[in-house]
Amino acid sequence: MKRRNLLVGAASLASSALLLAACGTGPGTSTAPTPAADPSGSITFWSSLAGMDKVAAAFNASQSKINVTFETIPNADSGGYAKLSTAITAGNGPDVSTIEYPQLPQFVSNGQVQPLDGLIDKSATVDKLAGEIRSMVQFGDKTYGLPYDAAPMVMYYRQDMLAKAGVEVPRTWQEFEDAAKKLKAVAPDSYLASFNPNQVPATAGLAWQAGAKWFGTSDDSWEVGVNDEATRKVAGYWQKLIDNKLVKVSQAFSDEWSLDLANSTVVGVIGANWSATGIQKRTEASGQKGQWIAAEMPNWGTPAGAFFGGSSFNVTKSSKNPAAAAKFVEFLTTSQEAIKARGNTGSAFLAYPGLTPVAQQAYDASYFGNDIYDVFEKAYATVSPGWQWGPSWDLTNTALKDAYGNLGTGGTVPTALDTAQKATVAGLEQAGLSVKQ
Amino acid sequence: MATQAPTAVPQPAAPQRRRSTASGTGGRTAALFLVPFFAVFAIAMVAPVIYAIVLSFYAQQKSGLGFGEAKTSFVGFENYLQVLESESFVTGIARLGLYCAIYIPCMVGGAVVFALLLDATVARARKLFQLLVFLPHAVPGVIAALIWAYLYTPGISPVVQALQGGGIQVNFLDAHMVLPAIVNIGVWEWTGYNVIILFTALQAVPREILEAARVDGAGEIRAALSIKFPLILPALSVIMLFTIIGTLQLFTEPSIIAKATPSITSTWVPNMWAYDAAFIRHNLNQAAAASIIIAALAAFLSLVVTRFSSRMNKS
Repeated sequence: MKRRNLLVGAASLASSALLLAACGTGPGTSTAPTPAADPSGSITFWSSLAGMDKVAAAFNASQSKINVTFETIPNADSGGYAKLSTAITAGNGPDVSTIEYPQLPQFVSNGQVQPLDGLIDKSATVDKLAGEIRSMVQFGDKTYGLPYDAAPMVMYYRQDMLAKAGVEVPRTWQEFEDAAKKLKAVAPDSYLASFNPNQVPATAGLAWQAGAKWFGTSDDSWEVGVNDEATRKVAGYWQKLIDNKLVKVSQAFSDEWSLDLANSTVVGVIGANWSATGIQKRTEASGQKGQWIAAEMPNWGTPAGAFFGGSSFNVTKSSKNPAAAAKFVEFLTTSQEAIKARGNTGSAFLAYPGLTPVAQQAYDASYFGNDIYDVFEKAYATVSPGWQWGPSWDLTNTALKDAYGNLGTGGTVPTALDTAQKATVAGLEQAGLSVKQ
Repeated sequence: MATQAPTAVPQPAAPQRRRSTASGTGGRTAALFLVPFFAVFAIAMVAPVIYAIVLSFYAQQKSGLGFGEAKTSFVGFENYLQVLESESFVTGIARLGLYCAIYIPCMVGGAVVFALLLDATVARARKLFQLLVFLPHAVPGVIAALIWAYLYTPGISPVVQALQGGGIQVNFLDAHMVLPAIVNIGVWEWTGYNVIILFTALQAVPREILEAARVDGAGEIRAALSIKFPLILPALSVIMLFTIIGTLQLFTEPSIIAKATPSITSTWVPNMWAYDAAFIRHNLNQAAAASIIIAALAAFLSLVVTRFSSRMNKS
């Protein structure tokens, strides 16, 4: 019986440790070599974005020196970053990765992506981008990726429901609240929007738009302001809407959320350009064609906006052929061929000048009741400059998501932000980083 | 857990005798047969455990803005202290304790009742019931959690709708109900499986004892309580052992349900805490320490259960 105990103990020990066995500690050993003028060889490319297989195939067909092997990985919610991060650390990651802007500083901080300086033609790539989007990939004078899309935060509304409530498209948050009340008066079971606890970047976007700065650097320290004054204003506003049952608290992309859109329980979506496809998919069968419109975000008095999502392509630390990888990243982010090859995979809005019209051609926006691309352009033009993502987005993201778990049972948006602030500061300090509050 | 279980059927005292006869005859042959097992065991079990233990004594420290190489240093039991001081880890353990307090009586109690009922039914119906009871276990855990997430979601679930129709307002996914909801998934998944183990043990109960009891005037219920139940106690203790180890590893169901509700945090149970530490907070060292703590807890509880049950079997 003794031996059996030991075995059982060891077995359970091992299964717990199995999680950890998957990841080695040995970081990629490759150091950035000098860029080859004419790179060649085979590289791998990981992305969770739909249609990227076609883009890789188009690149392979367009030249014969570099051969790209594409692999689809899960998206962020399904553990895509855990997979990417672990693989890079273990030294068997891809050459080219897809990383969203909030997560990028974390990969940079962990030394998991290589600077592209010296590998890319800067004047033909990053230098052509608008400052707001460029600052998403540049840290400390170095460029750690090329931006793919620049996702402006926008609202979507059901125009028939706005008409039913007798309101115009809200231009300010005050008008938004009034519209929600009027909607409630004519359709008691409907909400003007949902508040999504699992969409922390949306909270960040709303705060960003109001002038908040969650992360910044001064001297050799991080400044963390997840509950700064501007964010408090936003948090108080949304808590009021939640308390008055003017918005519905639900997990974005859950079955409940989808059903709410389909059966007109929720008639507005806080989203970005990429939300269009999801809205169409969930409401098409309910005969809502032509009813959905996009609109600029309501604001706090003066037009202001934020990015909500968006990805960059990067050369990872585990790449043995960074020159070829960088060449492919240039193709992905600046070539019209790349955009054409991807075909219709949604209402893309791209960072590099001149690419969006190409994407627009492939996408059929006739489902919507207004010119959504016109709205995207306007929203993009108002994005407030000066926002920076922190060195450990996952930390803030999970802390806030977890704290939002109490929204139904006594928790509030402001207290959740306080919790997230505390968790972020504690987490960064534990990692040895210098933090000022 | 599933792979270990078939050996769980109790074999009264036989192994010990066999071991003593084998040792004399062919030590070399025995070694030859044992090598494959121990080779795989060493690579897949022992090595990762040792690696995790080593990891747990180190920490990576960055400095300033953190954009630079991290320094790795030996920190002794620092990681263990941090894990044990972490409010979310301790809350997770407490939550798991509550989970056990609801889950184990429901599941094991249910399994015993079902097994005794099954044993008392007519032979022809047994096969069918055996299959029906076992069916939920044939559904993989992830799929089961997805199905239950659907059945729990307000507005979609026919169950919630039916309850509302009957005047009962319930949200299985809110902060108070989500723990019982997860327990329910566990009970649904594992009761049938354990019924089969107990039923097999019941089949091994000597029929002449039961006949003797019947001659003495014991009815079905009396026979079940006074004869059958004590005789399947060894099987029951094995079930308890696996259940406790399995419960400590609770991960799949809450992780899946978490997508449908914000009530389940990313560190809801200790295993999720370890996952969060490793892959969200990128602190492998702390994750290793947490895993070792969970494993030690499992080993300790296994010890308690086996001690307790062997004492009970003796008396």
